[in-house]
Amino acid sequence: MIRNFFIYLTVLVVGVAFFVVMVLFAIPALQNSTVALVGLSSNSSSSGGGEADKASIEQEVDKLQKELDAYTPTNPYIIVNTSDNHFYLYKGKQLLRDGVCSTGKNEKLVSADRKYTHMFYTPFGVLKILRKSPNPVWKKPDWAYIEDGLPIPGPNDPSRWETGTLGAYKLELGDGYMIHGTIYKRRMGMSVTHGCIRLLDDDLEVVYKTMEIGSKVYIY
Amino acid sequence: MKENSVEDFDSLFVKEKNKNKGRKYIILIIILSVLGLTSIYAYLSISAVRDQMKLAIERAANSPAVNSSLFPQLKQKAWLESRLKMASLDSVGLSIDLEQHVIQLELKGVVVMSSKIRDCSVSGFFKKIDGNVYFETFGTPLTIKEFKSSIAKNPFKIVEAPKDTIAAQLAADAAAKKEAEERKNQNVFWTVKLDRGFDLDIQGIDSIAEAQKKYEFGKGFKSDRKLNNITNSFQHILKFSKPTYIPEILISIPENEAKAILRALPQKSLVTIRI
Repeated sequence: MIRNFFIYLTVLVVGVAFFVVMVLFAIPALQNSTVALVGLSSNSSSSGGGEADKASIEQEVDKLQKELDAYTPTNPYIIVNTSDNHFYLYKGKQLLRDGVCSTGKNEKLVSADRKYTHMFYTPFGVLKILRKSPNPVWKKPDWAYIEDGLPIPGPNDPSRWETGTLGAYKLELGDGYMIHGTIYKRRMGMSVTHGCIRLLDDDLEVVYKTMEIGSKVYIY
Repeated sequence: MKENSVEDFDSLFVKEKNKNKGRKYIILIIILSVLGLTSIYAYLSISAVRDQMKLAIERAANSPAVNSSLFPQLKQKAWLESRLKMASLDSVGLSIDLEQHVIQLELKGVVVMSSKIRDCSVSGFFKKIDGNVYFETFGTPLTIKEFKSSIAKNPFKIVEAPKDTIAAQLAADAAAKKEAEERKNQNVFWTVKLDRGFDLDIQGIDSIAEAQKKYEFGKGFKSDRKLNNITNSFQHILKFSKPTYIPEILISIPENEAKAILRALPQKSLVTIRI
């Protein structure tokens, strides 16, 4: 009786295992092979057609390729990869310089009393250089004090003005976002900023001197 | 003590024989049932693939026949037209060229990231489509309907303001350390559902040696679907209905690039594919 039970159980387990292997591996493999589609054909192509057709399509292809290439700026532009914290400075299709950068930390800061919130992220898309200037002075916004656990001073308090924090140059992108330098070099290559793009001193100098007002900044 | 007669001995033998026969029947029934269920499921699964192809052919029935001798040129034209359509939008799009083994992120027509595809596996369904069915499927950009990923797509943290400068410094150091740690131990695998009834799977692999391990991870991720398949398969067998077939394109690229693409793509972004 017990012997029979084990025999049936073994056969059943082997059977279920066989079924599972078929469902998980064999049948999907069959589904993904072209064997499953034998005898089915789209039958939608015709033969013939002259060289003239081919030449006209090739002409259209050339035109489309030129149209697509025209999207790439001929003046300098910069591409920022926020995932790897890396930047690429281009002119046309020529890479002029690339290097490490720091971008937004993707954080929402909430004050202890929940009255104040601020989002820190680098916006994706195409931005333009609106202004650029050397020796920038940073006017610390309220969130800088909240983040440091300090009381917020008045709007024109002298403690708000800081020199050196933004490095030797700044290139403004609008809405308070900038490309600038940093004193926190240890954290380069990390997502630690409040949304701005930080570069190392040498890279910043090249970017500042190469990028023009109106140059595009591609951020992803 | 009574001795067993010849008849008694024979009857015992017949009983044992009947018992063996019964056991054999039960085993045979089990084997036949398993084979039967498997065959039914295989039949239904293959029918689902064929239905999907018939549907694709039907959809393309109204479009003009494609001249097979001009197929490569027409493919190139469709590829460029699709990318131009993506360029006319403000958001990031994805272009996948399986002919050149390249995957690219494009923003306003500019290639912002380009990655060499290290490995790729495509369902047989795609290998069988040609002519106007190809252009009906890949002739215009596809739209992403849904993302599923092994890492957070938009990793946004909510942080409460520190009480003082010491707490602020400690929090900043801890956050930087955490970010560095996270970068080291990430398996990147993500999948998207596209609006023309198939899935695109992207897998991050850092080296060919590591690839096999990561493949297992990728398959582990996909096994969610497969486990669902087992339970669903019983339901389909009982109802004698066809299971859903979703053709797939699986692409392996370097891990940091797989992550960058995942995070860059908006929820309903466009994808252009050339096979």
